[in-house]
Amino acid sequence: MAAPGGGTVADTAVRTAGARQRSPLPRPGTGTLVRATVIVALLLFTLFALPQLMSLYYVDSMTQAAIWAMAALGLGVLVGRVGLVSLGQVAVLAIGAWVAARLLFATTQPYPLVLLEAGLITMLLGTLIGLPALRLRGLYLALITLMLAGAITVVLATANFPNGGHGFLGYNGALINIPPIRRPSMASSDPAYFRYAVVVAALMFLLVFAHIRTRPGRAWAAVRQSESAALAAGINTWLYKLWAFALASFITGVAGGVLAGADHYLYSLDFPTYYSIMLLAVVLMGGAYSLWGAVIAGLLWALLPSILQDWGVSADWLTILFGIGVLQVLTTAPRGLADQVPKDLARLGRLLRGLVRKRAPSESGEVTAR
Amino acid sequence: MPSWQDFEPFIVSGLALGGVYALSGVGMVVLYQATGVVYLAFGAVGAMGALIAWSLINAGAPGWVGWLVCVAFGALLTLGYGMVFGPLLAKRDPLVKAVATLGLTLVLFGLMDLLWTTSGGQSRAITLPTDNGGFMISQIQVDWTQVISLVLGIAITVVTGVFLHYTKLGAAMRAMANDREITATLGVPVRRVEAAAWLGCGVLAGVAGILLADLVALDATTLTFLVISSLAAALIARLRSITITFLAAILIGLVHDLLTPIPSLTNYRDATPFVLAAIALLVLSRGGGRVLVRSREEA
Amino acid sequence: MIEVSGLTVRFGGVTSLDGMSVTFESGTCGLIGPNGAGKTTFFNVLSGFVRPTAGTVRAFGEDLLSLVHFRRARWGVRRTFQTEQAIEDLSVYDNVAMIHEHARLGSASRRQDVLGAISFVGLDVDPSARVATLAAGQRRLVEVARAVVGRPKLVLLDEPAAGLPDQETEHLSEVIRRIPEQTGALTILVDHDMSLVSACCETTAVLDFGKLIASGPTAEVLRDERVILAYLGTAEVA
Repeated sequence: MAAPGGGTVADTAVRTAGARQRSPLPRPGTGTLVRATVIVALLLFTLFALPQLMSLYYVDSMTQAAIWAMAALGLGVLVGRVGLVSLGQVAVLAIGAWVAARLLFATTQPYPLVLLEAGLITMLLGTLIGLPALRLRGLYLALITLMLAGAITVVLATANFPNGGHGFLGYNGALINIPPIRRPSMASSDPAYFRYAVVVAALMFLLVFAHIRTRPGRAWAAVRQSESAALAAGINTWLYKLWAFALASFITGVAGGVLAGADHYLYSLDFPTYYSIMLLAVVLMGGAYSLWGAVIAGLLWALLPSILQDWGVSADWLTILFGIGVLQVLTTAPRGLADQVPKDLARLGRLLRGLVRKRAPSESGEVTAR
Repeated sequence: MPSWQDFEPFIVSGLALGGVYALSGVGMVVLYQATGVVYLAFGAVGAMGALIAWSLINAGAPGWVGWLVCVAFGALLTLGYGMVFGPLLAKRDPLVKAVATLGLTLVLFGLMDLLWTTSGGQSRAITLPTDNGGFMISQIQVDWTQVISLVLGIAITVVTGVFLHYTKLGAAMRAMANDREITATLGVPVRRVEAAAWLGCGVLAGVAGILLADLVALDATTLTFLVISSLAAALIARLRSITITFLAAILIGLVHDLLTPIPSLTNYRDATPFVLAAIALLVLSRGGGRVLVRSREEA
Repeated sequence: MIEVSGLTVRFGGVTSLDGMSVTFESGTCGLIGPNGAGKTTFFNVLSGFVRPTAGTVRAFGEDLLSLVHFRRARWGVRRTFQTEQAIEDLSVYDNVAMIHEHARLGSASRRQDVLGAISFVGLDVDPSARVATLAAGQRRLVEVARAVVGRPKLVLLDEPAAGLPDQETEHLSEVIRRIPEQTGALTILVDHDMSLVSACCETTAVLDFGKLIASGPTAEVLRDERVILAYLGTAEVA
């Protein structure tokens, strides 16, 4: 018998004949290339064609959609990928907006730098706050995020958002003519700022995509399935949960920065506590797990109310819809629209492909390792 | 630093608020024990009931009809929700059950803003006949509504305690808190016990709605999120002990109102329930260090 | 060799393990006992999820309990759970590679080790297939592959055959029997299927009410009066 700890199972593979060294990792097959092309095409269309087709009213809404899609993305990472529910993401958004506004007033730094700093500072704060909270799980974790967010909201209501004043808070209550928060020099018009917001959002989505496809993404999948199994697999679950918190805070912080430039004037009333609940609602409805779900969530949040307002329908119907949406998602389709629709489309796609080609049904067509 | 006289009236108002938080908190704790649901819609239900009462009173109905309808609304809506979504989500994590009640909260929130818009600057108010008349305790004015609020808080806590420990239904609820499945196999009519818990909680939601509308404001947002204070009390009690819920609720009410006359802190007093609940949750997490996995698998 | 000495777990008025003392020598060892005897609690102590009230565990001369739970995998503890834990959203390859990755065994040998583990358990599927598409028996094999990849020192199998049809249990039995010689790891097998235990384990220990009531060569233990008495009245008779 081999000595303890000696000899790996790989020795068996080497000894058995025909152990091919072919990579089992999926090479980009036609499926992935098609998807990537579609995404790039959609992105180009959004950047160049969309602003021409829409009135300024809707361009504004789409800018908000891009911002809230980022916020939804952050929450989606927590809820969909790791299984942590945060009921305080809008407070994080507010912090990001606050930091960005302060920097934009106090310095002449270029916009991308401000956004980066807003993201990093928010990430730091989010991680610090997340540290003690991460000892909790499930319901208690959700509740403590609600509590912490509520406390932050109260503090913000008193501290107010920077309006060009001096001092640490940058708020001058006596100011009559409040300067607007500046925008990047190359993107000051609304359509230009819309493109700017979309580019930033695309970068955030790319950042998350990179995480999902590598070690953190796999670790998160393990933690979401079962924390004890993940620990038994050697995963430092606390660290990866913190990482998710940090990533979500960073993205939401950046989104807050973009929001500052979009709105020009910020008030604490813009970030009520119940917004965090509504954000969770749209994330659940759009699909917390998929990246497309965050896009859908952003559209639900920002575009739908604008359309309704245009038609003279009260936005309250949306609040009601979101509430119903939450109940529906939780009781039936736990992965939301983004999972359901692609599933149906995928089935359709497979059917079509089966008709067109006569090859074996295996998606990636890889060799089995024998 | 303000003088003692400045604090005095806030002791009374704080106790009154604490009383309402207590009866709300107790309702939520008992419901959680019986069903595993943290009823976050508690505030919204009470708020909508209070608004319905206001509409009726405004249309000429006598006060007591309005309050009765409010309580009935709270009871029926909560029972209805519990009977539909309780079974649908019975096997899910408490987190999922709680988030579902957030869905209900959003629906009610939207409905309230739709039907009772706050635009136009019109503010509504609920006044109870007990607002007028009261008495003085060493120069502090106390009105009967405040007395009722505190007394009800104490009464509900005591009655619920007695109920849980000395009646069959109460014992059944306690048993279900321990293990729902085993209780069902023992022949306890689980669905009926749950229905009783939902109904009771709903009644308390209606009562709290009317009282808070009177004591604080008849405003949908305010009332909906006052549930946080009751939730904080329940969390401090680890969603278990109703005595601690009561004490915590009184504490939260007192601290919140006593901060009012302190100039440097008064703007932050609304953070009281959030901060206290957060502390309670963090302290809670210290205790469970021994067992990471509460395995329901065979040992 | 795993030396357990005076292991006691008391929590909330319940004593799950009561002064358990046993030595697992080498190869594949069985651990049986009626429901509630403390077998999974014992595994949870070894995994680091439960801190014992008293007692020590020395694994290959080292104090296992001094390691934080997630570091034990790096040391060489592998475990399967009663409920399926293969990660559905990931591929078979990623599931197994993850263990290798977090055990810090180096990326140079990873592909080889992972594919080797997959073929060792006789899993005949495309490694890039998502586990969600696999049948229950195949998912079990993925879990066993996770348990044997790399350089495991201690493999804990918690009812791997539960719910499997006979043919797959047979296959699993063959795989388990080959673990010690291929990996050199000490394997502890918990199961209620006595034929599986007899086939795979040279020695077996028996727990009842958190106490060790018998240990030794499997055949003898299964005939032991005290063991049969412990199981009497339950459906778990071989």
